[in-house]
Amino acid sequence: MNRVFVTGIGIISAIGNTLAENRLSLMEGRSGISKISDNFPSKFAGVLPFGEIKTANSRFKENLNAKEPGITRTTLLALHAMEEAIKDSALTTAELASFDTALIGATTVGGMCLIDELYRDANKNEGGSEYLSSYDGASVTMYLQSRYNINGINNTINTACSSSANAIMYGTRLLKNGLAKRAIVGGADSLAKFTINGFNSLYILSPDACTPFDADRKGLNLGEGAAFLVLEKEEDCAGKKIYAEVTGYGNSNDAFHPSSLSENGDGPYRSMQGALETARLRPGEIDFINAHGTGTENNDEVESKAMIRLFGHPPAFTSTKSNTGHTLGAAGAVEAVFSILNLVYQEIYPGLNFKNAIISTGLIPIQSYTTTLLKHVMSNSFGFGGNCTSLIFSKA
Amino acid sequence: MFYIHKTTCISPQQTFSAVDIEHLNEPVNNKFQAVEPSYEGIPPGILRRMGKAVRLGVGAAMPLVHHSTQPPDGIIIGTSMGGLEDCIKFLNQVIEYNEGMLTPTNFVQSTSNAIAGQLGLLSKNKGYNITHVHRGFSFENAILDAAMLLKETPGTNYLIGGVDEISSYNYNIEYLGGWYKKEIFSSKDLYTPGSVASIAGEGAAMFLVNDQSTGAEAQLKAIHIFQTEDIATVGNQLRQFLEKNLPAGEKPDLLLSGENGDSRFLKYYTTCETLTGNDITIARFKHMMGEYPTVSSVAVWLACEIIKQNALPQHMLKSKSPDRDFKNILIYNNYKGLQHSMMLVSKAENQ
Repeated sequence: MNRVFVTGIGIISAIGNTLAENRLSLMEGRSGISKISDNFPSKFAGVLPFGEIKTANSRFKENLNAKEPGITRTTLLALHAMEEAIKDSALTTAELASFDTALIGATTVGGMCLIDELYRDANKNEGGSEYLSSYDGASVTMYLQSRYNINGINNTINTACSSSANAIMYGTRLLKNGLAKRAIVGGADSLAKFTINGFNSLYILSPDACTPFDADRKGLNLGEGAAFLVLEKEEDCAGKKIYAEVTGYGNSNDAFHPSSLSENGDGPYRSMQGALETARLRPGEIDFINAHGTGTENNDEVESKAMIRLFGHPPAFTSTKSNTGHTLGAAGAVEAVFSILNLVYQEIYPGLNFKNAIISTGLIPIQSYTTTLLKHVMSNSFGFGGNCTSLIFSKA
Repeated sequence: MFYIHKTTCISPQQTFSAVDIEHLNEPVNNKFQAVEPSYEGIPPGILRRMGKAVRLGVGAAMPLVHHSTQPPDGIIIGTSMGGLEDCIKFLNQVIEYNEGMLTPTNFVQSTSNAIAGQLGLLSKNKGYNITHVHRGFSFENAILDAAMLLKETPGTNYLIGGVDEISSYNYNIEYLGGWYKKEIFSSKDLYTPGSVASIAGEGAAMFLVNDQSTGAEAQLKAIHIFQTEDIATVGNQLRQFLEKNLPAGEKPDLLLSGENGDSRFLKYYTTCETLTGNDITIARFKHMMGEYPTVSSVAVWLACEIIKQNALPQHMLKSKSPDRDFKNILIYNNYKGLQHSMMLVSKAENQ
């Protein structure tokens, strides 16, 4: 089967509006998580810390010339990242419009960031808002599709917090199976009253900045973001900038509980193992892991155990959720971008806020900026519903 | 692409267990609500907490994941909205209690992947698990996904399905958006020309698929999806689809058309009929199922049923050609005049 390479990247998160800004923040160990919230109305804004992007919707609409009615913040974030990725890859209008260009998006919140509007539209019989066709996840991808006139296979995936990792996997497989010549893959989510209250009702939002893999971790911080990758086949990459190769992907269901992982972490174990199998790599060949590492009691311990089960002595790892917060449906793509940055610049970014190892596992994330030889980097994303996905990127 | 071995369908018609599609249930107030079975095999405590979409999907899939000799290697669900009812119940709580203390049940069930997740959980299936939510292409992407998996790992089995529900909320939103008719329509009046919008439907259709022809009910030979509002593109794409997937000069034996009573989109279906010619039988199904994003999954179920019976109910016929065995069925559907899908469901080669 064809080899698949990343030839364009776009990203926006709480630590930067561009790829370069995100890298700089990672290098400097900067976090975008704070209690100051400007852009979303919630009782918890200003009370709990969030990884908010400090650009207002009006500014995005202006900058991106996206002034049609019915555009949501999730779509604006997606468009912002997509614009950077397409410019970066230098895909032409004709290439975008071709019937073999695929677009695979991912989101969990979609247009439900507008819950006050949705509340009115869902409960009233007349006078619908401008957002009637903007609430579902597909609305985000469909806006991008029509804006860029992308005519190949289009899809949106929602597997909760592993959504955009699955979008990357799905796009890669479309290329390998000959169903597309190039694919633009990624995801977006914005901060929303809906998810904030949902995670709050599960008692897993931390009152402070999250501390992934720390013994005294208190939960996660929600964030927002978007990231897209342009994927192309090896044969079409001649003379192009190549960031990395997508070599591995594994998808498994933990089949244990709707909102927490099993003690042994069968799902995480199997998704990591599956990724190694498709990449034809032995565990010892993985040089670094961008862990799911949400900072919840349950995730970090289970993920640690699963890493120990699979790797024995796990490779170096961190969770960049201490920089960006948990960006839900965007997390898989955001962290794929960070994993690719690890490979391109042969560097590891410091994990933040860690003090003491979890007693039962003893794993310690990397805490300082390090340059080192990296050939294969794994990125983990695990979601509600037991949906676990691991990706492997390799140095091109 | 792959073979379909077992199928189930919960729909507004008698499609589950004792199948009788000759008899036609009518919509009530422009809503085709699913006829829900007693859901054997789902623990009552869990069943009570399930929202409708989860209930429909899990209920339809349970006989396939449990009664098969071999558990599927993966669960692939297409659903445009998942459990929207739970979602809005939670949202209503958020607003009405002004972000106060809330119970998480509705939130956890509100995510679109709750159907595939619950299926994994209840059948202890740790294999591939994914949820496609691309509106009118949700089920179509489930098909593409399974076809790729079978190419990547021959000899495996997958459960694929399409599920969507009518909740009072999405009915409201779609009604406000102009997608449902304002006057009350009966089943037989749905295709009367000159009126915009359609009527609502819901359901779940599930399929066990693999790459083995032995014992298969039918074969899904090909699928093509694209988005356009241009009528000429639809015609060109259909012509190419048929040329590529049928032997030269051959036509499908039946066109299963997604015509939905919306005068704005009739032109696409007419183009399709003109292209396939007046010597093939044309049948419709939305007067049985209503319109919803994953209704194409029920069209595939109907195609399998028609192949099995080599016959179809009178009420489905739009035009009849001289008797011909139903070996190749072309399904053409579009969702909201933008997302077009073409599928070829054929008699399995060994039959």
